Amino acid sequence: MKKRALGIAGSLLFMLAAKIVAAPPLCDKSQIRLVNSMREIAQPYHADLDRGGRLFARWAGLEQRYVLQLNQGDSAKQVSLMRAMLTTNPMCTIFNVEPNADLVVQPMVDAANQSGAWIVTHWAHREGLHPFDGNDQWIAHVAVNSFEAGIAISKLLSDALGGNGGIVALQGRLDTDPARQRFAGLKQVLKSVPNLRLLDQQAANWDRTAAFPIMQTWLARYGNQIRGVWAANDDMALGALEALRAAGLAGRIPVVGVDGIPEAIEAIRKGEMIATVSSDAYYQGSIGLAMGVCVLTGQVPLPKTWPKEKREYYLKLQVITKDNATRYLSDPQATAYAHEWDCANLWSRSMGKAY
Amino acid sequence: MEPQHGQGVLKSTKFHRWGPCVALIVLCVGFTLAGPRFASMENLRVIAEHSAIPLILAVGMTFVVLQGAIDLSIEGVMAVSSLTVAMLVLNSRTGLDLGLTGVLLALLSGVAIGFVNGIVVARLRVPSFMATLGIWSAASGFAMLLSGGQPPRIHDHMLRAFGLGRTFSVPNVVIVAIVVLALGYVLQNYTRFGRYSMAIGGGEQVARLSGLPVDRYKVLAFVFSGLLAALGGVLGSAQIGLGHIDVGLGQMFATVTAVVIGGTSLSGGRGGVIQSALGTVILAVIADGMIFIGITPELQKAVQGVIILSVSLLATWHLRSRLRITR
Repeated sequence: MKKRALGIAGSLLFMLAAKIVAAPPLCDKSQIRLVNSMREIAQPYHADLDRGGRLFARWAGLEQRYVLQLNQGDSAKQVSLMRAMLTTNPMCTIFNVEPNADLVVQPMVDAANQSGAWIVTHWAHREGLHPFDGNDQWIAHVAVNSFEAGIAISKLLSDALGGNGGIVALQGRLDTDPARQRFAGLKQVLKSVPNLRLLDQQAANWDRTAAFPIMQTWLARYGNQIRGVWAANDDMALGALEALRAAGLAGRIPVVGVDGIPEAIEAIRKGEMIATVSSDAYYQGSIGLAMGVCVLTGQVPLPKTWPKEKREYYLKLQVITKDNATRYLSDPQATAYAHEWDCANLWSRSMGKAY
Repeated sequence: MEPQHGQGVLKSTKFHRWGPCVALIVLCVGFTLAGPRFASMENLRVIAEHSAIPLILAVGMTFVVLQGAIDLSIEGVMAVSSLTVAMLVLNSRTGLDLGLTGVLLALLSGVAIGFVNGIVVARLRVPSFMATLGIWSAASGFAMLLSGGQPPRIHDHMLRAFGLGRTFSVPNVVIVAIVVLALGYVLQNYTRFGRYSMAIGGGEQVARLSGLPVDRYKVLAFVFSGLLAALGGVLGSAQIGLGHIDVGLGQMFATVTAVVIGGTSLSGGRGGVIQSALGTVILAVIADGMIFIGITPELQKAVQGVIILSVSLLATWHLRSRLRITR
């Protein structure tokens, strides 16, 4: 009898505790709207962001409530598309944002703060701006550490060459932060590996067709001094790979890139590239929506009560090499992410604070 | 030596022809002095290969510019032809494997867009600048739709081997470019199309009044430009192995620059395909040379701008005259 009373009291206590941890739902689930805001869907990366969002929406039973917003590279349009959506039921609307430019984050966060909509941002925003500085509707910022990405691929390239020989580097648009950070990662590794020499570096603007002729010119200039190719993204890596193929060198000179686009993974499987790192577009396209749903259904407390490092953190990058390439080749199922979408594991890919 | 106006070398007839050539030689000598391997066989082959697609585009553009118009749509045409060819030959997206027929259909897409350009300009009387700008945008949008986030990879071995391969150690794309150049030369000098284009550019009113079917030849020029842009898109795709909307990124400005550096006047009626070919080679030499002499990427754009300005000055010095109108 006593035991049973204790048990009841215990479970009552537990329910009470649960009540404190998990707030009452802010929205009826059927009212929740999921918005993925991104540049376009002509590139594999963006297409996968969208697929990730849809995968989550279906998993959460909110497929009919999923909205895709494409700004076609126009920052003003990204903001105005968001504002248009806020005219109805803003409090139950979640925006998962791939910012078209760093500067677009501020106006979108302002719009969320004013209207009561919820927003999760990715990649980078301008300095001095943080979710925990009174931006209560800004659930979180999931940053990508481009410097780490640069270091990761540089190390793999160095290892493949035994830390010895000349390499060439294709940079992205020089006026962008990821381009600078990834290249800084390469320079860091070069410093620690004295026999690895950077023969030349050129900007190919993230573009495959621009990388192709640069690689050809390098082959004419340096010939067999080139032992490895470093590219700040996969598109340029693949352009360089085609130039190597034309010279009969595909698969004989290791190539690394960043992004993890399907073709690069295929090239890694075939041994024509050796590595790429991915921020995992499926994850980025869905995690913000998952956070929002957890908040709105009361399964996690309000973001403003979260510790700082849960509101602005670095995303763990996935390094893809020949060993695990096949795993990334096929389209993932929702089951692959279900664990990370669970309200208890929202931060399982956090690499720590990003501020 | 037959001084035309008796005013020294810079105004002699010979310099008319040789201005761009002199510029090219100066550049080559300069780059070779800075980096001796610049003049190696391997690098010359690379330069030839890099000139190939721009040259093909420039030949098409030349006739449009000779008529006093401009074709800004070539990047859009290249995008469409790139995706068309990639989705019709053996590829990763569709189940089709049309081979050469696919290539021809892709070229046809360029003809079709060129035809629309021509009709809008000649019949609807929209200035070519605006008309082709609009078509560029529409064509890119259409290509984006075809691409749909999954750029089709080209698995057709024949096409890939052609794009990357060589015949008697000459890159295949260079051979295509030379054939196109020869065709352009013949069209310009030995056919009505060439002569009438020159006449239309020289003075459209006069051409009309003397009974030339101006509209028809305007449409033809755009169709030809569209066809060659599509060819450029197909070759570019064969090289990178992918149907890509950015296959022609930056080519439009490069082509116009090449045409003008070569000495073809944007106001029409003066110039020709050989000049444009020289212009494209000059641009390819500059781009290649910049990498060769190791100018840091941060500075390259600025240096490139200065060189292009100086070259245009040198190459078009002979065209200077008090009464010449430049716009």
